[in-house]
Amino acid sequence: MPQWFVRGLRRGLVTTRYPARPDPLAALLPGPPSFRPDALTRQVADDLVQICPSRAFVRAGDELIFDAGACTACGRCRERAPEAVTLSGEFELAATDRAALVKRIPLRDE
Amino acid sequence: MNPGAMDAAAPDAAPSSIEETADVLRRRVARQFGRSLHIRTLDTGSCAACEQEIRLLAAPHYDLHRLGFFFTPAPRHADLLLVTGPMLRAFASAARKTYEAMPSPKLVVATGACALGGVYQPDEFSYGSVAGQLPVDVWIPGCPPSPLALLQGLMVAVDRMAERAWHLTFLSGGAQ
Repeated sequence: MPQWFVRGLRRGLVTTRYPARPDPLAALLPGPPSFRPDALTRQVADDLVQICPSRAFVRAGDELIFDAGACTACGRCRERAPEAVTLSGEFELAATDRAALVKRIPLRDE
Repeated sequence: MNPGAMDAAAPDAAPSSIEETADVLRRRVARQFGRSLHIRTLDTGSCAACEQEIRLLAAPHYDLHRLGFFFTPAPRHADLLLVTGPMLRAFASAARKTYEAMPSPKLVVATGACALGGVYQPDEFSYGSVAGQLPVDVWIPGCPPSPLALLQGLMVAVDRMAERAWHLTFLSGGAQ
């Protein structure tokens, strides 16, 4: 049962206060990953490039280029490398410039 | 409100700094769209997951109308075009006609990973992205974007919320 329905029965009000206040249910949303550069080796980075079904990763030398706009939040990267990839919990991703969604992730020195 | 007074408050002279530019833009958007905005959705070949989330915006939990956003079936009544899907080649001319049918000023918001070019490569069926076919003002990532993400995108589009995308690093573990 959706949580907002239960909350509505309890309080008589279901509408979120967002954007005036944070929505507690936002933490449950699937979202793009977050990376730990100290655990992200070139080998892991190359694996992520291989397994990402929406081509959100490109490796450029010592950096992993992550396109949050292409990410479908499928979770395959977290499954492949749980030590290096976690859930970012971000959902406020709207950008007026497409380039703002392309991030450079540094890799671990080897 | 007297439109002449608003014109005086937002001069069209070239602003000298980023802060001034932002200020001028904010006033201009407020003047053009006020606190009420009509949205026309346009499906250019999506799987309908984005449409499910867009539909939920009108549901009690999100209640989009409380923020002054409304959906309209007619592009002639719309201020904002909410585009989903990878822009099928067969649909591109209809998309352009829809955009041209909208009165100025108008905004285009690309919604979901398909529209942002993440899922399909350009091929003989689709352009693989809305970019290049329509002048996009705001990009909302997600597959599909949650109603909260859509809400934030709409608020960013009318400049009622600050954009956060540039500040996100997607780094964790003390490296931020």
